[in-house]
Amino acid sequence: MKRPLTSGIRLGTVALLFAACPLFAGKSEPTKIKARAIQVEMIQSDEVPLPAEFQVALYENLIHQLEKQGFQHVYRDGDRNAMSITDLVVLHSTVRRFKEGSERARQVTTVSGATSITVHCQFSSPDGTSLLERDVNGKVWFFGGNLKATYDFAKKAARVAHENLSSLDHE
Amino acid sequence: MTLKWATLFAGLVLAFAGSVVSIANAQQSQGPTTVVQLTGLAGVKDNAKGILSVENRNLHFVHGKTRSDVSATSIEDVVTGSDSQKAVGRTVGMLSMAAPYGGGRFLSLFRTKIETLTIRYRDAEGGLHGAIFTMPVGKADGIKKELLASGAHTTAGESSAAASTSASPFSQEERKQ
Repeated sequence: MKRPLTSGIRLGTVALLFAACPLFAGKSEPTKIKARAIQVEMIQSDEVPLPAEFQVALYENLIHQLEKQGFQHVYRDGDRNAMSITDLVVLHSTVRRFKEGSERARQVTTVSGATSITVHCQFSSPDGTSLLERDVNGKVWFFGGNLKATYDFAKKAARVAHENLSSLDHE
Repeated sequence: MTLKWATLFAGLVLAFAGSVVSIANAQQSQGPTTVVQLTGLAGVKDNAKGILSVENRNLHFVHGKTRSDVSATSIEDVVTGSDSQKAVGRTVGMLSMAAPYGGGRFLSLFRTKIETLTIRYRDAEGGLHGAIFTMPVGKADGIKKELLASGAHTTAGESSAAASTSASPFSQEERKQ
């Protein structure tokens, strides 16, 4: 009498383990793109007119934030040292939307005058194969000048890179 | 008699032309300017206040003991623009937000006009850099002209010496603000 009960418990345990397997599998981290280095290209804004200082601020902030996120080799647009790197990921960024607000309006009214910018980020291999594409936006709602939106964008874009790229130097 | 008048007239013309040339030269070499480097110069902290000048075909920035030089020939683009900033400083401005009856908001209405100078340049390895400076009104155009005369380039394809700010596509956008 005892033997069928024990085997029933065992069978039930095994069944539960099988049932739990897909749940654990769902929680596993998605595979990251392997990257030994990242090269940031200058922000493009062919479709949307963008003031020069915004273009430069987006580019410089993006490089600083990627370095802050732990990428040891962040190359600039046109850097010849990047040519010899294997597992290089190139980041192309194109401005899709830009609305310049007013710091004065933000501080006086609180609810209006926000500056927002949306940038399409494409991570690709040096041969041009797209590895990951995301739209990232940057905003400044209340405190700070309009250029602070570029800092907000850079932080978010660097976070996307950190979540999806695995720096081979860390392994 | 006629010869005397002609000599006098020629002398006056020469004196006038000389004064015009000297005024033009004085405007071109305007000397060091106090600026704020918002971002971009290698080895210089963001929002660093310093002295900017064009010396020996270099854009020269000094902030305390930190010095940074960018060769004018390595500059691919120079763009000027206009902007404004709060007249009341940062800390006082922040504290004033707590003032009763919207006093802080009232202070936010007062702003001073400034000019921006944005440059894009390449380092020795070919890497692209960008730097942004803010300065008092009336200074950016002079620095831009000096840079172009020293060998810097601009995107609008204008001739280096006779470059004017309005020729750049970016500056036209910025002036609308």
